[in-house]
Amino acid sequence: MERRNFIKISALSGVMATLQACGSPEQKLIRFVPEEELIPGIATWKPSVCTLCAGGCGLLVRVMQGDAEVVRHGQNGLIKMGLAKKLEGNPQHPVNRGKLCARGQAGLQVLYHPDRITHPIKRTGPRSSGEFQEITWDDALKELASHLTTLQSSKSTRSLAFLARPLRGQRHELIERFLKAFGAPPAVWYEPFDEAVLRQANLLSFGHAALPTFDLGRADYVISFGADFLGTWNSPIAQSIGYGEMRQGRPGRRAKFVQVESRMSQTGANNDEWIPCRPGTEGALALGIAHVILSEKLAPQGAGSQAGSMIAGWSAGLPDFAPEAVAKQTGVSAAVITRLAHEITQSGSAAAIVGGVPLAHTNGLFTALAVNALESLVDTGRDLGPILGFTPEPPLGDATQSAAPMQASLASLKAWAQSAPQMLLLHDANPIFSAPPGAHIREAIAKIPFIVSFGSFIDETSALADLILPDNAPLESWLDSIPESGSLQAVASLAAPAVLPLHDTRAMPDVLLGLAHQLGGDVAKALPWTTFDAMLRAAFVPLRTRGGSINAKTDDEFWDAAQAQGGWWSTPAQPAGGARSAASSSAPVTAAKHPPMAMAAPEFAGSATDFPFYFLPYVSQSFGDGSLANLPWLQELPDVLTSAMWSSWVEINPRTGERLGIKHGDLVEIASQQGSVRAPAILSPGIAPDMVAMPVGQGHTNFGRFASGRGANPLSILAPLAEHETGLLAWAATRVKLARVGGPEQGKLVLFAGGMSGFPHEEEPR
Amino acid sequence: MSHKWGLVVDLDRCTGCEACVVACHAENNIPTAGADQAERGRAMHWIRVERYWEGDFPNPRIRFQPVLCQQCDEAPCEPVCPTYASYHTPEGLNAQVYNRCIGTRFCANACPYSVRFFNFYNPKWDMPLQLQLNPDVSVRSVGIMEKCTFCVQRIKSAEIQAEAEKRELKDGEFTTACAQSCASKALVFGDLNDSNSEVSRLASSNRGTKLLGELGTRPNVTYLERGTWQDAKNG
Repeated sequence: MERRNFIKISALSGVMATLQACGSPEQKLIRFVPEEELIPGIATWKPSVCTLCAGGCGLLVRVMQGDAEVVRHGQNGLIKMGLAKKLEGNPQHPVNRGKLCARGQAGLQVLYHPDRITHPIKRTGPRSSGEFQEITWDDALKELASHLTTLQSSKSTRSLAFLARPLRGQRHELIERFLKAFGAPPAVWYEPFDEAVLRQANLLSFGHAALPTFDLGRADYVISFGADFLGTWNSPIAQSIGYGEMRQGRPGRRAKFVQVESRMSQTGANNDEWIPCRPGTEGALALGIAHVILSEKLAPQGAGSQAGSMIAGWSAGLPDFAPEAVAKQTGVSAAVITRLAHEITQSGSAAAIVGGVPLAHTNGLFTALAVNALESLVDTGRDLGPILGFTPEPPLGDATQSAAPMQASLASLKAWAQSAPQMLLLHDANPIFSAPPGAHIREAIAKIPFIVSFGSFIDETSALADLILPDNAPLESWLDSIPESGSLQAVASLAAPAVLPLHDTRAMPDVLLGLAHQLGGDVAKALPWTTFDAMLRAAFVPLRTRGGSINAKTDDEFWDAAQAQGGWWSTPAQPAGGARSAASSSAPVTAAKHPPMAMAAPEFAGSATDFPFYFLPYVSQSFGDGSLANLPWLQELPDVLTSAMWSSWVEINPRTGERLGIKHGDLVEIASQQGSVRAPAILSPGIAPDMVAMPVGQGHTNFGRFASGRGANPLSILAPLAEHETGLLAWAATRVKLARVGGPEQGKLVLFAGGMSGFPHEEEPR
Repeated sequence: MSHKWGLVVDLDRCTGCEACVVACHAENNIPTAGADQAERGRAMHWIRVERYWEGDFPNPRIRFQPVLCQQCDEAPCEPVCPTYASYHTPEGLNAQVYNRCIGTRFCANACPYSVRFFNFYNPKWDMPLQLQLNPDVSVRSVGIMEKCTFCVQRIKSAEIQAEAEKRELKDGEFTTACAQSCASKALVFGDLNDSNSEVSRLASSNRGTKLLGELGTRPNVTYLERGTWQDAKNG
């Protein structure tokens, strides 16, 4: 080709390309006028609230100017805007005091997730087909409103259902008010690992229907019955701060930490003494220790009598729980039980903690009451008051319901499913993934004629939705939270949006308020605000006269200060006041009369001969109940006990492995009466030979590019057994059998430890 | 006075929560390898938590140990580099100069701590995940090594700020991303040349040890051994 021709052709094709780009609007990116003033290269820190678990930690978001592709008025374009670059803990926040966990750090990837639903969509294909079409917000809201008015005119407002993850604060209040004024039943709050059994026990033992706050920094002796308090349980950051203090924060005074459990958890790994105990008998062990303390008069006269009154035989000195008898039940020797009783009572400030696995048995409430009785017997507060306390409720405006949202019990979830609602509003809960198959949630939800989801992602449940109205990401939203535990100060966290929305999404609370306005009548009267921040302001401003962390002369000043600080908190209690008296501003409630409880043996689904192993699906350190499995940082985070990434695995004892011919990395099948799952085996000395354990969180079938089709979901083989007193799912009460079904080539275990190998899955020389 | 940056890891406080691992990814633009590459051992974690099991059920013991670049004074990674990409800064950091690196991987071979990671591919973030990237930290391209920098961008930014305000850096004024997230305060970062800094005080603790100190690498990371229940009782 001649040079001249070449130039001609390239010039021509260049012009063609430009013209083509002009002709198709999707290739043309408009630059919008910036909506905020930012200095390039200078970071600003904006307070926010972490929403990745229920702990309610305060955040500081590092915001810097950058270019982002966004949607404004239905049009794509580029804009210079403030972008969140890093999340840190808010140093002023009383719960997490500047610290943030692995999950919290990954909150950034919720905001920037490539699978986010970026605009309202409507289902076009059959349910679960994934076929949706984009519609405008006007059309979407019109459709939602027309369904609601149809329910109103046909006098069937009771057939509207709302299913959500438990929320605390004004979102909770808004949803409940909306439903009540509309004439619908209260919302169903669903989270499989919610600690409602412990709340009930604390109500009976201590008069507080809340999770406890442990001031571990003052403890000299901590015995924990299964609570993963440094990982996933209750308020892990607050507890980890206290843990650091009790280990090395006081020169010359190091606390002892004893963990009771039959599969070593991340928390249990930090033990000074580890006590494996037969599953479901942890309550008996606690009472065995209490028996020794009572019979040898090691505790002050009358200590623990209130919480102890919930246990049959307490006043008689627990005659059924002599160490020898308890040793037979629990597998813990009588000598150890007696020694523990002596150590606890001779060690200054002591605390007993219970939570998680032991409460997920059919006798969970009894176990919680038993440990609570031991706790109040040994935690007598000889120094500065007891280690155990409760976070006071902040005195918010009359808009606040003080009761924590109760988790839907298995029975009520089933009843709800059978009530055949005509319309479902879905917010963040994913019961199709996390409820046991025996609850038949999928079938029930699939029968509902009209389903609306506010979720940001397609997951197993929201895939069934007819209409999806995507919420803003948390960092793009007005947020508030009332931490249930983790602080002895009353805390009401508050945050304005840290960044502007990236996509064509709208805040769920604003959508509900708009609907209320449109529906008129009682609903509009119950929710007079036009935007959620107005509702938040109405709730928060009454705090101005309550002292605490903000000193403001006017309501405006208070509102600005609360946003700048990340919320409002009460003044810390004087140390001499002690934990329990600090909590006295929320007066203990007298529980309904409940007779003392006697020990009931735990029940398991499946016979010990056909299903020889206890099955423990445990809450994942990375993914919680599985709702965070779509975040790549957490998928690639090596599990701390195994270094496994991007996969599921089954923990079995090496002796069990030897007996069944299972080697490290082999593919195994776990089968219960309900079904089976397959995953590679990891031989771990930290698990009882008659138990197999599996982390929850993987095994999603429809949860975006990072989580779908990865690993297996242990919840899918759980029997629908419930805790007897509360009706909550007993997720540790299933028995299984175990068999090898393949070698490491099929197992495909991905580990970080072991470094690089040219031939993955090559057998290590033995 | 010049600085000498150091880190103390208190193994008695470390709970194995791995907040440091994700904090490091977020701060330093570390790419996510993905399942297939991770399976081939190509996942990158500038800081990791190692585990050591001892004993059998019912008395198993496990110890956690966070491992990151030890920022050695006598770093084995430095003399082997043919292009001087691994070099020692005046403040005692083992720096990696990315645009000198030609990917021989000699340094990774020489490092006894396995804390250097090679970019087998150009990193890729599915849109709009690239918006999470920290503008203070360069993204590494294919063919070069990367490792913990002690968050050098934070060090530099604090030093520049202090210089602009004509004052000395204060202890605790800034810290690394891992230490900032650490709830139990197991990680403490600071200036070892400042004898009043918290890190100097902790580094001289009688619980202090160096990881593979017998190799003579003279690390600037000090590990404080786990205590025992008996220690506390007797002492």
